[in-house]
Amino acid sequence: MSKVANPQDLLPLTPPVFHILVALSDDECHGYGIMQDVARQTGNALQLGPGTLYGCLKRMLAAGMVEESEARPDPSLDDERRRYYRMTPLGRRVVRAEAQRLAGAVTAAKARRLFDRPKTGAAEGV
Amino acid sequence: MPPSLPMRWFCRCYLVMLYAYPREFRLQFGGDMQQLFRDRCRQVARTPGFANWLRFAFHSAADWFSTLFQERMAGVREISVQKCATKTFGVVRTVWSVGRREQPRGFVAEWAMTLIIFLFATTTLVQAYVVPTGSMESTVLIGDHMLVDRVSYAKPPSWGAHLLPYRDVQRGDIVCFHYPEDVRQIYVKRVIGIPGDRIHLDNKQVVRNGQRLTEPYTQHIDPHMDAYRDDFPQSPRWDTTPRGRLMFADDVHDGELIVPAGKLFVMGDNRENSADSRYWGLVPRDYVVGKPLFIYWSYDAPTSDFEGLSFDHLVDVTTHFFTKTRWNRTFRVPRAQQAEVAR
Repeated sequence: MSKVANPQDLLPLTPPVFHILVALSDDECHGYGIMQDVARQTGNALQLGPGTLYGCLKRMLAAGMVEESEARPDPSLDDERRRYYRMTPLGRRVVRAEAQRLAGAVTAAKARRLFDRPKTGAAEGV
Repeated sequence: MPPSLPMRWFCRCYLVMLYAYPREFRLQFGGDMQQLFRDRCRQVARTPGFANWLRFAFHSAADWFSTLFQERMAGVREISVQKCATKTFGVVRTVWSVGRREQPRGFVAEWAMTLIIFLFATTTLVQAYVVPTGSMESTVLIGDHMLVDRVSYAKPPSWGAHLLPYRDVQRGDIVCFHYPEDVRQIYVKRVIGIPGDRIHLDNKQVVRNGQRLTEPYTQHIDPHMDAYRDDFPQSPRWDTTPRGRLMFADDVHDGELIVPAGKLFVMGDNRENSADSRYWGLVPRDYVVGKPLFIYWSYDAPTSDFEGLSFDHLVDVTTHFFTKTRWNRTFRVPRAQQAEVAR
């Protein structure tokens, strides 16, 4: 039912959802891996707690943006209890659209010289 | 690396906290969330410094609290929407909830909510209680502080019997109740007989409705026989209270106690050292307060310390908090247990 959904309808994404999708864009991953990747992406600014992470995953599963995968890509980390998640084509389209939207927003901000202030380092958070 | 004590404690704490989430969500993701939490604990343990633990604890609590509301509210909406809407409307709803965040709540609003829930919960849903005597050893010990669930055994209102998990008292349940001889005191015992049961003890063994029971939860500390105590019911004795004598007069027929309607026959698990229904009679059903939910703190101190407030006890707790707390009992759940029929 979610195949028909238009990515534009799902925007804007919340920061956790966006970062989870970015984390899953390379490879499928389990919960802890997603959490670590998101922390790395944001320079430790966004630490996903278990509730936030799995709450988001639940809604993303329902919307068809991610799916559970059967494969266990990392045998060293393998554990019966770990579930791996993978991005669906819809998820990829959604994260692209969101990245585009954010890029547009950043360009607009740049055009107004909002990035020329001395403290540009703070811009990496969302 | 083997998990350290605080880490294990943290994880156990989190396990209990998971129970606050809606059942479906917990079943689907609970195991993974616990795993994630444990991984995160290990990660924090690798970085030195107490501040990290503190930050981690705060972060986890905040995460738990905020998502709890989100999931609970989502559950409510799903039910009401599913009932009245078509499938297409369902799609719109999912899309809506992914795209937009739930209503942002302010800091003040969140804390006000906590406070309200806390006040409401402590007066009507749960109650804190400390065990002063050893009559239920080895199931509950002296100094076990526990939360008592006041809902389960409460009388369900006529309009909402399915609203909360009401359930009647069953054999083998551990119950907290007002001590009939002095209703200001709260006692904790195990239910042995419910209305209609025929009960007697034969050589320390309970015989219920003609069936000999094997009770795995009992403790016997005295090998000697005491006819009154171990072959109940004989005839009243000097330590039988007036209420106990009334029970002997009204409810004992042909060497068996028959539990009347609206009453419960309770005994402590520490059979030889327990002042219970054998001595002071039956517990009216209305006197039952609730069932123990879990032990939140267990402190090793004698009975006298838990009767009223004493200065000495306060000093003792402040100086020996870490050494005399029985850490391994924290968050333990005293469970109802069924006796088996012996062959």
